[in-house]
Amino acid sequence: MGDGTILVIDDEPHVRQFLRAAFEFEGFTVQEAADANEGMRSATLKPPDLVILDLGLPDRDGASIVERLRTWSNVPIIVLTVRTREREKVRLLELGADDYVVKPFGIAELVARARVALRPRSPKSPGDPVIKAGPLEINLVNRSATLGGRRIALGPKEYLVLHVLAQQAGRVVTRQHLMKQVWGGSHADDTHYLRIVVRNLRKKIEADPTRPRILLTELGVGYRLAQ
Amino acid sequence: MARQPTLWVRARDLAVPILASLALVAATTVGLLILDYFFALRHVTLVYLVPVIVAATRLGIVPAVAAAIAGVGATAFFFYPPIYSFLVDDPQHLIELPLFVFVAIVTGHLATNLRRQAEIARRRENEVQELYAFSRRLAAAHTAGDICNAIREHLASIIGRRMFLFETAPGGETRGSLPDREPVPDTVRREIEALAAGRRRSPEQSFIAEGHDWLIRPLSGKRGTFAILAVDVGQHAGGAADVIKQRVDAVLRDATATLEQLDLDQAIGEARVRSETEALRDALIGSVSHQLRTPLASILGTATVISQAPANSSDPRLTSLANILRTEVDRLNGDVQDLLDAALISSEGIRLDAEWVEPADIINAAVERRQRLLARHRVVLQVADDLPFVYADPILLEQALGQVIDNAAKYSQPDSTVTLAARADGDTVVLSVADEGIGLVGDERTRLWERFFRGDRHASNVTGSGLGLWIAKSFVTANAGDIDAASEGADRGTVVSIRLRVTEPATPDLEVAHDG
Repeated sequence: MGDGTILVIDDEPHVRQFLRAAFEFEGFTVQEAADANEGMRSATLKPPDLVILDLGLPDRDGASIVERLRTWSNVPIIVLTVRTREREKVRLLELGADDYVVKPFGIAELVARARVALRPRSPKSPGDPVIKAGPLEINLVNRSATLGGRRIALGPKEYLVLHVLAQQAGRVVTRQHLMKQVWGGSHADDTHYLRIVVRNLRKKIEADPTRPRILLTELGVGYRLAQ
Repeated sequence: MARQPTLWVRARDLAVPILASLALVAATTVGLLILDYFFALRHVTLVYLVPVIVAATRLGIVPAVAAAIAGVGATAFFFYPPIYSFLVDDPQHLIELPLFVFVAIVTGHLATNLRRQAEIARRRENEVQELYAFSRRLAAAHTAGDICNAIREHLASIIGRRMFLFETAPGGETRGSLPDREPVPDTVRREIEALAAGRRRSPEQSFIAEGHDWLIRPLSGKRGTFAILAVDVGQHAGGAADVIKQRVDAVLRDATATLEQLDLDQAIGEARVRSETEALRDALIGSVSHQLRTPLASILGTATVISQAPANSSDPRLTSLANILRTEVDRLNGDVQDLLDAALISSEGIRLDAEWVEPADIINAAVERRQRLLARHRVVLQVADDLPFVYADPILLEQALGQVIDNAAKYSQPDSTVTLAARADGDTVVLSVADEGIGLVGDERTRLWERFFRGDRHASNVTGSGLGLWIAKSFVTANAGDIDAASEGADRGTVVSIRLRVTEPATPDLEVAHDG
């Protein structure tokens, strides 16, 4: 099931060790790197399918590594970070990281994120443009959504927000990215509108809009469509 | 010509209070005449002590004397026969009137003195207050610039004139000027530079810049001049300007003595050390955070891998052991995080990252992150529909609410209910956590929020740092909110409410309202 190579860049040998064990149990091959330079070399020589990057590396800050990697590779990157660094998380996501996990974390959480990140970013075959999130199905081609098989009426902005989230289903999408995609670049900071649209959407797609199970909030960062 | 306005001002300054005191006497006379009409008064002189004392305490000694004399005149004229004449027939009255003047003047003098004493005491009090505020600012100053700014503001507040302060380097050149946003007139700058370089022939001489008279004075500490002050005396000429200059010099003499006592050179040196110490502390906090959390991450990760390894996951004993590990690591991680938060709050304050926040998101995130802690409690969520959005830092709010939830879970029995609610109340949104736990007694309700406070009743059997609610309060207050706790008493549960103000969003007209 999980055949692929994962590159773990972390200066803590114990973290590398348990990550190796965990991903090998899941059937992955694991490469290790103890610092940014070694990680970059490893990523160049033997391109992995996924990079897990610790942000607290001694030789270089996380943002510059993500930036460097993105100049020549589209490999999914999951960053390991600590709490209270929401701005940094947003910045890394904008630079091209795919997701983040906050330390300390249970391994199940990381493996689940890794599986989502390893899936191709948009549906492979154009013949199946339907994204599923629980009872919600979003058809990216004829731009419609159904809930439990019944079509729901969405306003144009509501559909667009859902569309952008569905393209990245399971992944966190920053508010800034959503604002740019839905309202255009000049309104990236007027997130009040985004919140109104999200609230309206939740009323239409969630069983209990105050306890969302499909359209989830990543506090301080953005939103995620559940998978 | 130039002195005329001053004379006029002086005459006016004297005449107005005298007229006022005469008016008081007149009012008293009218009152007495009315009373006399009904009751035929005998000894009215004593009543005239009232305007005298009022004049003495409010207006000064000269108006008081005027009131005394007018009072005697009015008595003789209106009340002592022959009436409507200043003559007095009764020898008893003849003794009474000079006696009244004597008593009035002595009383007036005493009252004036009292007033002056009170004024001096008040001014002292103000000066001490200002000096105290000033020395506190010095103690907190990070740089020599901060110190010079504190001095400038201190002097400006006691002298009450526009002024510039130039920091001088030991070599004799001037550095920046304060306040830095205000442009310095060229002439002033030139004169300052001349004084700093020792090129000024008579250093104390005032000069004219942009039509104003300016005073220029060096400020010295134990180790020589560290700054130069330029004071705008204004457009007064002659005597008035001299008076202001004398006052400025008097204040500066006092201030210089104070500054010498405070040993500014040392203060400036200490400020540098302090800023380095704080940088060191920040680095230390960062490093300790890394040092403590890295092994925690390894322990937790390893424990979860072991419990989920194919060989172990089928053995419930092993998975439950792994669960214990996880719970303990979570707790330890929470404690480390509390310490870091507390250290950060005290060292550099709280940085707000405010945005429009859906109140339900805060509650959901806080509950989500504490699922394990709340696993044995019954959790009830009561979130009202269509709550207004609040403009706040969502992460800080989630942490504050999380701390409250931690406490609710810790200080109540498993299987009891924890109710999280969000509701609108006037122009506020209230997030509340209600438990069925140990409640609050006595002064716990207020002391709860103190740093390191732990209730005596349960300190021994519940672990905690005593920081959680202090952090919660700091975070809520930073978001301009209020937090308070209510309880009906021991073992009757606690309700903690976080109250956040709702403000209207000022946002451009984007297409949304008519959307679907």
